[in-house]
Amino acid sequence: MLILSRKTSESIVIDGRIHVKIVRVEGDVVKIGIEAPTDVPVHRQEVYEEIQRNNQQAAVRPTAPLPRLVTTKKPVVAPVFKGIKP
Amino acid sequence: MKCNCIETEPPVAVAASNVRLPMGLLGFERMKDYFLIANPEEEPFGWLKAKGDASIAFVVLNPFLIVPDYHPDIPQTDVEFLGLKSAEDAMVLNIVTVHKHGQATMNLKGPIVINRNTGVGKQVVIANGADYSVQHPLLVSEGAN
Repeated sequence: MLILSRKTSESIVIDGRIHVKIVRVEGDVVKIGIEAPTDVPVHRQEVYEEIQRNNQQAAVRPTAPLPRLVTTKKPVVAPVFKGIKP
Repeated sequence: MKCNCIETEPPVAVAASNVRLPMGLLGFERMKDYFLIANPEEEPFGWLKAKGDASIAFVVLNPFLIVPDYHPDIPQTDVEFLGLKSAEDAMVLNIVTVHKHGQATMNLKGPIVINRNTGVGKQVVIANGADYSVQHPLLVSEGAN
């Protein structure tokens, strides 16, 4: 692992196209700003790993027929997007 | 015993559409093209099956059938990536895991959001993921199929 020390407002550049900036340090919380091309996904590691693990578990083909579900008949609510009217 | 393998076009009675995931799924980034399949006999479940690799297939479900007030907060960068102009443009599907003994759970932290008009989708890490479980239990009804 490459270990670098940075002060607030200093940056790191990865592969010439991904920029990582130390925005603020408050106690033991570091606010990090990332600029990357849209085809480069950036995630908090633990969240990424949790979803990745779940996807891998889910991709195993079930050997039995799918279960019958209890579903609700209540009306459907649209997803929430910031800044977009529902 | 029905075969769930899709190498070519699915049978006519089953509805299928093309879905493109330019970023793939988390952990399956290299698979980008899928069939979304709705077989009436397996309602309300659907399948997301990778084109060209029958071993990669996911059971998916409309989450609102189970959690009617599910309110995934989709980050603005993802809204722009998908070209969503309104909430109606979005189809939300969540991956279902079928566990041993027939229990099933659904991932509410990482929904697959698809633009209905373009067929382009993404597995979104929602901003309010702390409100939801990656293994939300699905209630299975008693009695025979």
